[in-house]
Amino acid sequence: MFKLIFKSALASLLRRKLRTALVITMIAMSLWGLLLMQGIYDGMVQQMIGNAVRSDSSQLSIFAKGFRAQPDVKLQLQKQQEIKNFLAHHPNVKSHISRILSRGLIATARYNRNALIYGIDPGAEITHASLNRYVVEGAFDFGDKRRGALLGYKLAKKLKISPGDKVVLSAQSMDQQIASVALRVKGVLRTNNLSIDESGVFMHKQRAKAMLGLENAHQIAVMVHDYSRVATLQTQLRTKFPGVKSYTWEQLYPALQQSRELMELFNSISYAIVFCTAAIGIFGVVLVSVLERLREFGVLRAIGTRFGVIAAMIFAESFLIGVAGFAAGSLLGGATLEYFAAFGLDLRSFSDALGEFGIDAVTYAMIKPEYFTTSFVAVFAATFLSVLIPLRILRKSKPVEVINE
Amino acid sequence: MSKFITLSNVSKIFNPGTPLEVDALQDIDLVLDRGEFVVLSGPSGSGKTTLLNLMGGLDRASGGTIRIDGKEITALHEDALCDERRDNIGFIFQAYNLIPVFSAKENIEYVMKLQGRDQPSCDRRVTEVAKKLGIEKLLHKLPSNLSGGQQQRVAVARAVASKPKLILADEPTANLDSVSAGELMDMMEKLNREENITIIFSSHDPMVIGKAKRSVVLKDGKVIKNETVS
Repeated sequence: MFKLIFKSALASLLRRKLRTALVITMIAMSLWGLLLMQGIYDGMVQQMIGNAVRSDSSQLSIFAKGFRAQPDVKLQLQKQQEIKNFLAHHPNVKSHISRILSRGLIATARYNRNALIYGIDPGAEITHASLNRYVVEGAFDFGDKRRGALLGYKLAKKLKISPGDKVVLSAQSMDQQIASVALRVKGVLRTNNLSIDESGVFMHKQRAKAMLGLENAHQIAVMVHDYSRVATLQTQLRTKFPGVKSYTWEQLYPALQQSRELMELFNSISYAIVFCTAAIGIFGVVLVSVLERLREFGVLRAIGTRFGVIAAMIFAESFLIGVAGFAAGSLLGGATLEYFAAFGLDLRSFSDALGEFGIDAVTYAMIKPEYFTTSFVAVFAATFLSVLIPLRILRKSKPVEVINE
Repeated sequence: MSKFITLSNVSKIFNPGTPLEVDALQDIDLVLDRGEFVVLSGPSGSGKTTLLNLMGGLDRASGGTIRIDGKEITALHEDALCDERRDNIGFIFQAYNLIPVFSAKENIEYVMKLQGRDQPSCDRRVTEVAKKLGIEKLLHKLPSNLSGGQQQRVAVARAVASKPKLILADEPTANLDSVSAGELMDMMEKLNREENITIIFSSHDPMVIGKAKRSVVLKDGKVIKNETVS
């Protein structure tokens, strides 16, 4: 029976080849567009998140309680070594690093700007989140005497300095005095994390400690194996170390999280558009197909075909169109996404404008299985719903009347 | 011979209760035996097609009962009627009504497929019927590539292939030339004789009417003559 239904559906579709091909093309093209937009936008947001995570927050950041609200230099992490030991033995922790954080002033002979000072261990940063990959000028190095500095590219541009130039960094130390240190610019970073690019100054952690009179770090940044279990780690930290507070990247960068949610909403709207396109296209084809074959269906019923079998034939027609459109659109979309995932969408000619929004100039597309499963569900639902009205029309028709028309 | 079809007080009113009300059939009583070769004749509008439709369960009687092989088809619901047509009744239409996207063979085996018969069994039966009707060489062709006479033979083959107990044919020769019509009637007569299928057909054509073994004449929705032809 299934073979008969399938054969009948296929034969009916082939009877109007051009019309069928047009609808399949329509579904395929909308699906292609949807997959492309989704993959590119997701890739864009993911890169923005990746930049924030790699350059600043990691997946989880631990601070002394109150530091986030009032980033006072005195609010160092207590029990830092115990926390590090705990993290070192935690099965879900991939790596962790500690940083000194402070606000201060950076000055050249002619200009000065506010600065976000990061005291970091360069070797640890490389293995932890590959911070060195953001270097666009100079080198990821603080020199033998640890007197080097790395600057965000916008800050370097505003100060009109480049590697080799000298800067003076000033900040409030533990004893409430203004401490200063002269550093030589070793490299410039472009992270597309706006705050770092505009005011980030990285110096060696030991140099920062000495300058500010600190014993411990302000932040421990953590990368995990399984992000879905990060809440468990947070609970354990809360119980074990009541003096600290941990934040996920979503909590530290709520705007990025909102961007992601906005993108999900946008994707849902896109799915709805594809659904409507498929539904309207298939509805048109099936309706015309049913109306022009009322007599034929009347004959089928007269010679003993139950209405359910005829409904299955019509549904199969609709389903075949949907599946063909889905297959073509998925192949096309999948191949295009593969290309952009490998080579990226190069928008370097708009890099300045994109940089203002923290977006990388080359966007690498994402490919997620759910793009295809959700599209399939949307197309399948469209094929099902689009035949309901034609079936109702058919149900109302009487074989004896349509045969004799 | 046994009572195969029994119509008791069968009536059919179209558009009841409206100014367009028509009494298409009135109190029809008719008994036909198994294996009969019956012609329904009469002027246009006399109720021949309506009577065939009621006997085939394509339409519902306004009153009375119709029994076929002991089963009261007037009491069956839609799906059961459909199954009855699939398993026991074959139809031959004036306009052939073959499925245009199916080949002649696929048209012939369609009802057998609905019955759930396997492909080898369908193939054997198609070959057997096609041989009897002289259409072995046409089996792969689409209906659009067949002449009217050839299409009607395929339609007859479709009606016969599933071995129904009853075949209803509404003016099967109306679209055929006299030679094709004569050949078709000879084939139907042969099938009636060899496969013991009860065949009821309607016609205006005296040549075709002359082939029947029983003649039922209708006028204004009533049976005015019912006689066996020697």
